[in-house]
Amino acid sequence: MTTFDEEKLQRALRETADGFAISEGAVDLILDEARESPGSEKQTRIRSLVERTGRVRSSVMAAAACVVVLAVAVPLFNAEGPATAIKAPHVVHGAAAPYGALLPPSESSLQGLTATGLTVQGTVSNTSATTTKTVGKTGANASEASLVTSLRVEEVGTIQLTVRDQKFQTTLTQLTDFATTDGGFVASTQSHIDTKASHSFSTGTIVLQVPEHNFTMLVDQVRHAGFATSVVTSANDVTGQYVDLQARISALQVSRTQYLKIMSRTNSIGGILAVQEQLDSIQSQIEQYQAQLNLLNSETTYATLTVSLSESGHSVVAHKHPATGVDKAWHESLHGFAAGFEWLIRIAGPLLFALLVLAALLALGRLMWRATERRRSRLN
Amino acid sequence: MSDAVDVDELRTWLEDGYASSVRTAYLILGNRPDAEDAVQESFLRAWKFRDSLVTGSSFKPWLYRVVVNTCNSKLRKEIPHRHRRRPDDDLDEVAEIDDRTAHIAVTNDVMTALKDLPAHLRIVIVLRYYADLNEHDIANVIGRQPGTVKSRLNEARRRLALHPALQSEAPSPINARKESQS
Repeated sequence: MTTFDEEKLQRALRETADGFAISEGAVDLILDEARESPGSEKQTRIRSLVERTGRVRSSVMAAAACVVVLAVAVPLFNAEGPATAIKAPHVVHGAAAPYGALLPPSESSLQGLTATGLTVQGTVSNTSATTTKTVGKTGANASEASLVTSLRVEEVGTIQLTVRDQKFQTTLTQLTDFATTDGGFVASTQSHIDTKASHSFSTGTIVLQVPEHNFTMLVDQVRHAGFATSVVTSANDVTGQYVDLQARISALQVSRTQYLKIMSRTNSIGGILAVQEQLDSIQSQIEQYQAQLNLLNSETTYATLTVSLSESGHSVVAHKHPATGVDKAWHESLHGFAAGFEWLIRIAGPLLFALLVLAALLALGRLMWRATERRRSRLN
Repeated sequence: MSDAVDVDELRTWLEDGYASSVRTAYLILGNRPDAEDAVQESFLRAWKFRDSLVTGSSFKPWLYRVVVNTCNSKLRKEIPHRHRRRPDDDLDEVAEIDDRTAHIAVTNDVMTALKDLPAHLRIVIVLRYYADLNEHDIANVIGRQPGTVKSRLNEARRRLALHPALQSEAPSPINARKESQS
């Protein structure tokens, strides 16, 4: 690579600079300026004239590191805390947390895939005032809900079970007995029975309704009727909506009473007709709200379970318990792999967030550092 | 220390360093008014903050640092934002102010080449080959590592070698003048 000769460059620059005539009186001008300058006293606050120690940069980096640690720790902490509480009422793939251990780990979906499938969906009412379940608010006035002593909670869940070959009819009968025994009833049934000629498998759906206090027991009974492959439940707090409807009905009833008093004092036909029109409107609204209230009352009194059943025809017993230690180890290995993969996905979000924060902080720190450098330069 | 003594100290500084400082600023900024303004401002600032000069450290790099920072500030803030440049702000016009016509061609070539260099390269070239500072002192002046200074010097010399006005083998005014003198 060709570069300009140093000697020639030095000579050229000196010749050029030497040709620059120094203005006469410039020095005196500066001295006069120094004498007249009001800020001619010494100042020592300037720091950039000494060797930089890198303290500013170190401080910025330390602050950035602290913020990054916080940015990583807080989302991770939150992911372990409130998120779990929110998901608690929802039970997926046999993890029936709110109702206890509905499915033991050995009866996971991996085993159920090879056997007969049975799906149970349910709706549960909960009128207990002492419930502590985390639920989604759907009522219009959530604040009012906190004032009432009785919670109105509607829960929805799904359970998948597996049953052995030739046990389809028996299971259906058993589920019907469960509902009856628990003080409930069968809302609907739909089934398809297999035949040897068709080479198909039996499938069916049964909807059970039981009082809310028996829902947990029913779910447990249904799970043991076969091999549960999944259990999904959810809860919905309708207390606010319930209270809101009650308040509207009360207000309309008061209005109706007032109109009835007015009507008793009215003598003209025109006045009576006008009041009657208002009374009809109010009565219509009361009945409408009362119907909604009754529906909510019904939904929060009984739980509805929908059971879907299918038959695979494979030997369930062979898959219920791993026959050998190798099979068991293989299943545990698959479980471990899935758990590890889930963990990776779970931490990917916070890590990505932390990286973004780190990048932003580095950019900000660099900007601040450059600004500080410029300020120092200006002071010099 | 009284004010009179302090001003005497400033006078000593000016006698020792004004000429070299204003010429350095001229090479960096490319015109007389800005160079004189920058050096005046630099000396006043340096004098004002004279206690920040670390005891035992060299005065020359310290002063150059103040001058270079002031020049940088002008290059960054004032000069690019002028709506209309005065005729004497132009490099060629400044060069013609001098009566020494023999230097005019050299000045034109060198100043044109310097003007075409980016400011950060121009500064290290001027400090190294005119102010005669070593790489370590230049690093202190511009607040960078010596390796950065070395890299910038190489880059600047490479660009100057390629500049049409300073082609060493070409019959440039510099060479032509030398030949005529010899």
